[in-house]
Amino acid sequence: MILKRTYLFILALILLSSFAVVQQNETLIKIELLSTQTEFEVGSSIVLKFSASKEEQPLLYCSNSYGSTVISSTLKNNILEFYIPENITKKIGVVNWKLLNATNPLSGQLNINPKAEVATLETYIGPPSIEAGETDYTMLVVIPTDSLDNPVPTNTLVKAKHQFLASEETNDIYTKNLISWRNMYSKKESGRMLVSSESIGINSKEFTINVMPAIPTDFKISATRPHDYADGNQITTFTTSIIKDKQNNVVSDGTFVTFFIKNKNQNILKTTGTTIDGIATSKMIHPDYEDNWNVKAYVDGMSESNSISVDYKQVIKDFDVVFSEKNRLITVGPLQSFMQQMIPDGLHVKLHIYKNNSRIETLTKTSFNGYVNFKLKSAIYNHGNYDFTIETAGISKEFKTKKLW
Amino acid sequence: MKETSNKYLISALLLGLAFHGSSIFFTLETTYDALIHLFFADHYANSWFEPWNYEWYTGFTVQSYPPLVHQSIGLLSMIGGLKFGMFSVALIAIVLFITGTYRFSLLMTGNKTVAGYASLLAVFSSSFVETLHIFGQLPSIVGVSVLMHALPEIYLWLKTGKKWYLATSLSLIAVTVTSHHVTPIFGMVFFIFPLIGMVIMDVSREQVNSMNEVNFKLFLNTFFKLFKRIVSFGMLSLVLIIGCIFPYWLNSKANPITQVPIPHGSRDNFLEITSSGLVFFLIPWGILLVLLPYIFYRYYSKRYLFFGLSVTICTILGTGGTTSIPLKMLGETAFNILTLDRFTLWASILSIPLMGEFAYRFVEGDLKELIQEKFGAVYHRIIGGILAGLMVFMVVFTMSLNYFRPSQPQKIKMLPIVNFLNQDDHDKWRFLTLGFGDQMAWLSAQTNAMTVDGNYHSARRLPELTTRPIERLENSKFKGVAGIGSLQQFLTTPEKYNLKYIFSNDKFYDPILYFCGWQRLRQLENGIMVWERLNIPPVSSILPKEDVAKWLKIHWGIVPFLTVLIAFILNIQMLWVNMLKTRIKPLPDFLNFSVSYKKFNKTVLRITHIWSLILAIIVFYGIYLFYLKNDSQRSPENAIIAYYDALDFKEFEKAHSLIDPNNTIPIAQYMLEISVTDGLLSSYAKMDAIETEITKHNDSTVSAKVISQWITPLEKIEKVDYKTLSKRKGKWYLHPDDLKNDLPPDQLYSDNTTQYFNQGRRRITTEQTHHEDILKQPVLEVVSAKLVQYDGSYAIIGEVQNIDNVPADVILKGTLYNDDNKELATYNAKYHVKHKLMPKESSSFRINFEGIAWSRTQDSIPDTFNPDEFTPIEFEEQPTKFNLQVAGNVSGSDLYKNVVLSDININKETMNGNLFNSGIQEITIPQLLITYYDENKNMVWVDHLFVKAGVRQQRKQDFEYTILKDGKVKIINGSMKNIFVNGLPNEDISDKIVPNRILNHTNAQLQPIDHPDFSYIKIEINTYIGSPN
Repeated sequence: MILKRTYLFILALILLSSFAVVQQNETLIKIELLSTQTEFEVGSSIVLKFSASKEEQPLLYCSNSYGSTVISSTLKNNILEFYIPENITKKIGVVNWKLLNATNPLSGQLNINPKAEVATLETYIGPPSIEAGETDYTMLVVIPTDSLDNPVPTNTLVKAKHQFLASEETNDIYTKNLISWRNMYSKKESGRMLVSSESIGINSKEFTINVMPAIPTDFKISATRPHDYADGNQITTFTTSIIKDKQNNVVSDGTFVTFFIKNKNQNILKTTGTTIDGIATSKMIHPDYEDNWNVKAYVDGMSESNSISVDYKQVIKDFDVVFSEKNRLITVGPLQSFMQQMIPDGLHVKLHIYKNNSRIETLTKTSFNGYVNFKLKSAIYNHGNYDFTIETAGISKEFKTKKLW
Repeated sequence: MKETSNKYLISALLLGLAFHGSSIFFTLETTYDALIHLFFADHYANSWFEPWNYEWYTGFTVQSYPPLVHQSIGLLSMIGGLKFGMFSVALIAIVLFITGTYRFSLLMTGNKTVAGYASLLAVFSSSFVETLHIFGQLPSIVGVSVLMHALPEIYLWLKTGKKWYLATSLSLIAVTVTSHHVTPIFGMVFFIFPLIGMVIMDVSREQVNSMNEVNFKLFLNTFFKLFKRIVSFGMLSLVLIIGCIFPYWLNSKANPITQVPIPHGSRDNFLEITSSGLVFFLIPWGILLVLLPYIFYRYYSKRYLFFGLSVTICTILGTGGTTSIPLKMLGETAFNILTLDRFTLWASILSIPLMGEFAYRFVEGDLKELIQEKFGAVYHRIIGGILAGLMVFMVVFTMSLNYFRPSQPQKIKMLPIVNFLNQDDHDKWRFLTLGFGDQMAWLSAQTNAMTVDGNYHSARRLPELTTRPIERLENSKFKGVAGIGSLQQFLTTPEKYNLKYIFSNDKFYDPILYFCGWQRLRQLENGIMVWERLNIPPVSSILPKEDVAKWLKIHWGIVPFLTVLIAFILNIQMLWVNMLKTRIKPLPDFLNFSVSYKKFNKTVLRITHIWSLILAIIVFYGIYLFYLKNDSQRSPENAIIAYYDALDFKEFEKAHSLIDPNNTIPIAQYMLEISVTDGLLSSYAKMDAIETEITKHNDSTVSAKVISQWITPLEKIEKVDYKTLSKRKGKWYLHPDDLKNDLPPDQLYSDNTTQYFNQGRRRITTEQTHHEDILKQPVLEVVSAKLVQYDGSYAIIGEVQNIDNVPADVILKGTLYNDDNKELATYNAKYHVKHKLMPKESSSFRINFEGIAWSRTQDSIPDTFNPDEFTPIEFEEQPTKFNLQVAGNVSGSDLYKNVVLSDININKETMNGNLFNSGIQEITIPQLLITYYDENKNMVWVDHLFVKAGVRQQRKQDFEYTILKDGKVKIINGSMKNIFVNGLPNEDISDKIVPNRILNHTNAQLQPIDHPDFSYIKIEINTYIGSPN
């Protein structure tokens, strides 16, 4: 009894299941792709057509390198039509699509190809300044794009043009991987290079590249001065020859030149100058004592000059010193220059004051109308015996045991 | 009985509004605090519910200050702008204060006439005038005024137990809390506790026949009887104090004030620092000082006993650091956080009712009778005149204090700065103001740009600021070593804070800006100089913030106004009743306790007389001392100090008047001689201290050694001068100094220089700069670099050269690592480099590694100022490697190179020489960079010297440099591997541009010296031109 019922139940189940399958078969009508074109020119309108199913109107998933979207169809004469939106058709590249239906998902690819026309040239160049000498270069990158801002097909001709001094050159380059580029090497000369580019009748704007001179080479120096006396009041001007690089270009303005002066005490004095049209000038005040200068100029680490010797003659041969006002007023002078004229104001006179053979103070004053007065204030210098040394223009005079009171 | 309007109160209100209302327009903007509140108000006006503010201190929360006043200004600013809001709130504060004193006085005295007198006098109370017109503490005024309004309600609740009064009193306490947090907390102690005591007294009094019968037992019994009311009020107000500004408390717990205390004048010893004594003691007390005996006599009567205690404590605490009592009472922490002047303010406010009472009794009461009876009517009138005169004098003096001693720089027109910040994306970087005073808050309120500085020191967050006792970087010159030290760190490593622009209103800071690598951009039309630093990245668009829960933001935005609304609704009816007398209301209980003024205590009158006499003697003695100190020709010391002061403040006419008239230097000649001297000492120094030693005396001639200490932005300078003085006709005069008379060779001469101009962007556009307008970064080369240790501190030294064809601004950034490549420290080169290099020019450099100064040893901040001092960073591990990043940017400014080393003499310990200026600009500050080499001509150390005096055109200036003491320099690492120029490896770049560099090229030109550790030196010269023309 139980067995029979079980059979019956199983039979019924079988019957039921076969019925279900039959029912599904009845509604299945395949959706198929009708359009065949897979290559499109950018900007053209693209419609994907599918044979329609009666019940289903699936969505189409589209994706290109900019992003993805889902679009719906319109049904026309049992044909599903998907209009691919403009933001996809305006960009070159591969478009992947997939039909979002439940049963047999269809998918495929479309290629959107660039137009062979140029609307704009995107141009980049850098660095904007390079060094002369045929080793340094700047890179020109040109990206021709069509009216929809897509890069043009590979191997589109781009003319890279530049003008430098007397030469005007055009070089053909071709786009590859969406761009075209060229390294523009400097020539031996320095100067200004103007660069532009052209592709299919469209021209870029003008770019400027400064070709700067290379590092300086050795040069010569000279000195000019109003007279050769060491009066401490005239200016000697040091001048370089025109400093050039190894390609014979004048170095750029502002190049820093250091003049080192070794005096007869083997001390190093220093003056600096910057070039204008390759010539650096530098000024130095005359010493106020007899001296011999050895001058050499350097562009640090790069080039140097010859060394020249400059002599200065002593102007003050001798001077008088007068003690007055309880020896507290010391008058030095007259200080006379080479034509016995009073030395111009500002000559340094040093007074070294010694007490008990040790220096307690050095006073420095500058001459005025050929004289210098030292006033020894009683607050600082008590009563007593002092030794004095007066030094000016490289001459020194000693005065022993002067009593101040 | 029909109640009449209190004509005194009405006239007080009218007078107060007319007087204060019109004068705030001239005073409020120059006060210390008003503009800060304006800035907060601007924050609320723009983002009511968002407490985080990015503009100051690299971000802080406005939940660090109770919001009510700021929010009110912010709300009112919607109608007529921020300043309209501020002045409206100030007017409201004035009304609240006058009515508050009236109600408080009525409560205390129970006599309407007396209260009227008190409110009238309160209008001219010098503490109120000072708080409003000098300090600009609007929240504090609003807080204390509302508290005074609350006091009668509290009294009535405690006395009658009517719940209505509990509600009104609590509503007013809530408003107090949301406007100022300190007021209700201390108000509890100094106002409400004594009030409770008074209520208990009054209730006790009602149980017996006279005040004399009130004894301690009765008092205690009454206290227990009222205990429930007192406790319920106390607990509820505690809940309100915490609840109403809960986000504030939460924030103070999260960000406790762990900073070094900022010195405040109210903590000074008033006898030593008399200016603090004037501002924080004499002015707020004012006329009340005369009445002190009366005030204490009255407040120590039985009914007011607790007010007596309160006013005594406030008086003592208000004396600041004069005695050590306030420090002991408050403890170290509270003493250093609180500003003690508020205790004086409260003491004076507590005294207002009694001042009214005194005035009443003096004008029409028993005191008048007593005086007239004893001394006659004329005497009474004279005394009245004197008292009234004193009162008027105090008010006029306080109001005009800012005129005589301006606390703020001249008002700055902000529009050009605001426009500058809006231009060209300048607000994408942080800015800093120098010498703006509190006006920086007004600038911040007007712009969206951010600053690293700020004006609310409790909110400081950067450790560079919190470890120093400075409020603002802005006025760091007044804060000595800590201030300038802090500023220097910001200036040296500005990229850390994205700090690119500095607006300088004070020439004092110019040298430090220049030598830290900043350059002048231009002067704005309001005279503010804009400084800029190159190579600073802009502020990132997403900034960190400390967020708080949403409910806290909503609480903060809503509760303050809610308290006002509730208080308004609860109290409005009563206000109408009180002010407009619309209907008759039962008299409040406190009116039953008025004292009848029948017999003025004779002893009090006598004591007041004696006290006034003592005061007068003190005042006259003070004036006499002041005269002695300021009579500039009374003694030689005075003459010297007056002369130096005159020079310091550039009052040359005054200085000239102190010069010996026998010497017959006309002022024109004197001015010429003074004005031609430029330089660090004469143009950028501020005298810090002066000491004179009179080394010899005779009757009419004196010689003096003057040791003066000068603060400059770069270093501290000690100058010793010897002066001679003569006495002529009882006055001391100085003898003039000799002048330098170096005669330049040429009258007119020419100089050719290469100058540069950078267009920036060539197109007029708001878009980003076109790529072709972006200049290539100049190529620099690090010729040598090494990590060395000298005298305990680590440094990277070396030489950098501009190998490009354009001038470069150089920024050097060094990082130290240990053996495990752990980063230990990063710092930039400060003054030990020429920041601007011409093509092919080189410069030695040294990078010091500075720690955040004194962060470890907080209590050992030196008293003396030395900007040059630096705190070496404390390394936990041994640095062994370094990385050097060099950045070059095209710069056309500060390229003056026409300075010549024209003479040099080397001694054992010193080096003397002359600098000669061969160009056409006056050199303001020459700087020598001295590089030391060992016997193999290896560079080992770099030192510097700022020459104190400037060098005029075609003139010489001598200098003296002390050669470094013995000390071996240890070279730790000389590897050139990790050096990068503009982000590229140094070696690659140099190989390309200078492939065949002549190594150690100028080594033949090194100056030999006689020194055990160093054998050669090299001198480079850098110049700062103060005013290029």
